[in-house]
Amino acid sequence: MNEIADLTIPAPKRSALNIIARHLAIFLALISAWEISCRLEWLDPLFFPYPSSILEGFWRLYITQGNIWSHLGLTMFAVIVGFTAGSVLGVGLAICVGMSDRLRRYLKPYVIVLEATPRIAIGPVIIAAFGFGWTSKTAIVMLVCFFAPFVNTLNGMISVDRDKVEMFRSMGASRIQTFSKLLLPSALPEISAGLRLAMASALGGALVAEFIASNAGLGVLITQYTGTLNMASAFVCVLTLSALGYFIFRGMEAVDRFIIFWADRDRIEAVGRKRLAAWHSRLGDRP
Amino acid sequence: MMDRLSVHLQSLFKHLIVFACVIALWEGAAAVGLVDVILLPPPHAIAGSIWDLYVENRTIYRHFTITFYEAFAGFLIGGAFGLALAVGSSLNDSFRRYVSPYAIVLNVTPGLALTPIVIAWFGFGYSSKIALGAIVCFFPIFVNTLIALSRTDGDTLEMFQSMGASKGQVFWKLRVPAALPMIFAGFKIAITTALVGAVVAEFSQATAGIGVLMQRLSFALDMSGAIAALLSMSLLGLILFTIIEIIDDRVVFWRRGSRMEAVSRRRLARWKTSAGSSSGKPIGRK
Amino acid sequence: MKHFLITSAISALVAVGPVAAQELTTINAVMPKQRSANYFPLIVGEALGYFEEEGLEVNLLPSDTPIPFVNFLRNGQADVAMLDPAEVLQALAAGVELNVIYEVMQTAPDGIAVSGNSDLTDVEQLRGQIVGLVSDRDRVTMQIALDARGMTEDDVTTVVVGEAGPTLAAAFRDQTVAAIAGSGPDWLAIQANGIPVSLITPAEVSNKPGNTFAVASGTLEEKGDLIEGYLRAWSKGMYVATIAPEVVARMAQDAVPEEWEDANFGQQYLNNAIRLNVSVTETLGGLNTGTWESIQPAMQKFGLITDMIAADKFLAPSPVEAANNFDRDEIAQEVQAWKDANM
Repeated sequence: MNEIADLTIPAPKRSALNIIARHLAIFLALISAWEISCRLEWLDPLFFPYPSSILEGFWRLYITQGNIWSHLGLTMFAVIVGFTAGSVLGVGLAICVGMSDRLRRYLKPYVIVLEATPRIAIGPVIIAAFGFGWTSKTAIVMLVCFFAPFVNTLNGMISVDRDKVEMFRSMGASRIQTFSKLLLPSALPEISAGLRLAMASALGGALVAEFIASNAGLGVLITQYTGTLNMASAFVCVLTLSALGYFIFRGMEAVDRFIIFWADRDRIEAVGRKRLAAWHSRLGDRP
Repeated sequence: MMDRLSVHLQSLFKHLIVFACVIALWEGAAAVGLVDVILLPPPHAIAGSIWDLYVENRTIYRHFTITFYEAFAGFLIGGAFGLALAVGSSLNDSFRRYVSPYAIVLNVTPGLALTPIVIAWFGFGYSSKIALGAIVCFFPIFVNTLIALSRTDGDTLEMFQSMGASKGQVFWKLRVPAALPMIFAGFKIAITTALVGAVVAEFSQATAGIGVLMQRLSFALDMSGAIAALLSMSLLGLILFTIIEIIDDRVVFWRRGSRMEAVSRRRLARWKTSAGSSSGKPIGRK
Repeated sequence: MKHFLITSAISALVAVGPVAAQELTTINAVMPKQRSANYFPLIVGEALGYFEEEGLEVNLLPSDTPIPFVNFLRNGQADVAMLDPAEVLQALAAGVELNVIYEVMQTAPDGIAVSGNSDLTDVEQLRGQIVGLVSDRDRVTMQIALDARGMTEDDVTTVVVGEAGPTLAAAFRDQTVAAIAGSGPDWLAIQANGIPVSLITPAEVSNKPGNTFAVASGTLEEKGDLIEGYLRAWSKGMYVATIAPEVVARMAQDAVPEEWEDANFGQQYLNNAIRLNVSVTETLGGLNTGTWESIQPAMQKFGLITDMIAADKFLAPSPVEAANNFDRDEIAQEVQAWKDANM
């Protein structure tokens, strides 16, 4: 997922507007081609809605009927709560397990097997056991968001340079100090990568929960609209999900840059300056 | 060599002991009533179902083949598109710039959301499952191939260019071989993703396949059968993954020492004969 | 005379008072479709206040889920569930302890349909053709139908078409399937999408119990009164259809207008629902031990169940008697009153 940033080549500044204009032109060309194909009945309008009706759908779902907002809110609620709970649990458990080498070795195969099991298969069992409601839905998202942070945190803690651990020990650092000053910071890149993976699958997990225990949410809307072949509205919902996914992705990138500040030069300088000032004030002198 | 084997055996043995303990705990919990046996059957019931499915009824083989075919076909189609677009993007900067946004949008849209639409489009039959598999596995292949082809070692590239290599030669002799490991990593991710896509589509609407079997069994409240089907799904994923691993091993031969030697020897022999026929004297090391 | 009238009026007020002030207990039910003309006794019961009289408010759980309803009986989220005989027997085989307490439909709603423009008139003619299934669960309907004509599943090709109305209609329109195995709500969906439907269901398919109400074993002891009240209100609703179907139609139009977008189809749908819902037996919702035992061999044959279960192990007829304990004439009067007020 980190590689997506590499996908888009940074454009030379002076023709940035040019680039955007060209992107827009291509987009509009594709859309027009689609619209024309529909009108000429090359594409079955029953299955491929006119772009104009999709646009109309956006207006209808967001403004006139406004029914998409509550569903959007419900889906996002499940995503955020489930993600937070799941990743906190994942990181926390990994830290505990990471401290014990033996535990980690024996746990590994089971984690792998559980991780490989498609969540859509486990979902029904959770709901059958705990019933409908947002608790079950959040539980499913939690399950989805647990593994990546768990596995990654574990990996991060293990791959710490042995020499550095020795050095800390030789300087008489306590377990807590070793943990907070060495293990945790070295593991942070991996942890952050794990969090990003979890966030990426959180949205999918919420949808799984909705498809199974459909009370409300974007997944429910999509099923209803496709069931009545109201493809335009279904597309609107899917595009909303894409937009959500995109914002989540960008958001996680920002969080990543914030936490792993040493990857970015400006950030490193800023944080360095702040810490120097704090250190100086603690020592009681000011340069 | 024997030491290594015995070390492996020892760790395998330890893992088996732990596994046996877990199973025993599970059985105990089920017997005592801690675990809801209707929702989560005890291991012996699951074993019984596995026996039923694989030996007694033998129904599972047909479903297994169908899902295998759907996943593999989806992988091939999605892979073909991914490779083609990635290669095009790596060779032409503008192409890359214009294709990327659409690829990203496809990536951030959860595949599950597209399932009802894909099924409505393709109707009943295998095509909808293959299509969904292809859609979800397109992106990993695309992004891995693109990144891999773009990250060329600057020094090696200079060397090639100083020797007067053409664009085609640079591409086929430098970029592609350097990219292959990462491309195959993308394949591995993609094929498991394609399986999940095919199964998700089956859950929605399908006549046969492991997903259908699992749904049928869980609907009839035969949870041990459903879990057996689920394990079969994991087995299928493992098989697909191993197929790619085997191909990976043969194509990216320089990763394993023994393979590298074998291929080098063969190529040297071929080179010697072709060189020998032109100049009569063998060039290269003896 | 005046004295009598005043006392009766006062006592009526006094009687109404406590009932009105009484808190309604919620009873959670899960059925294959939430409010629908297909299960009109619920709509009628709510319109005439029968559930309220029993001190009940019916809460319907979301029904569009692939999770078997039995699970909600087990985890306590549902007090009563509507299950078909196959689901009941499979749950019992899996070890779930439940009681069947009422027969919602004594005729099975499943059937085989062909396009209205098709030449096919009997299941026999399906040999070698493609038969569509609305979902995998309808496979048994097809198997029983074929079996009734001496054929097996291998004599036809089966495809699962899916539950969406437009897809089903398209299957008929494009002639991709010769017939579809499904049930009432599916026929309505196809007709609503412009394709007429005619049924070629053999008697063997429909002559078996349809949906039933089931509860978890403990519920009868804990909430027996609630359940009886619920069934009584349901039975009253069912009875109204026998004396005044036009009133039922009107109530359905008010409660579920989305099913009446085309008035003709809405009426046909309701007629079919009345045919299925109204009990054949004298006792509304009466449980028939004989039928339950006779359907099991066929189910075993088609692999739905592995072992047979004695009917008295799960049938619990006691609530049915209480459910039928109401004054028919009173109902007729109330229906008339509603009719005068609303039609």
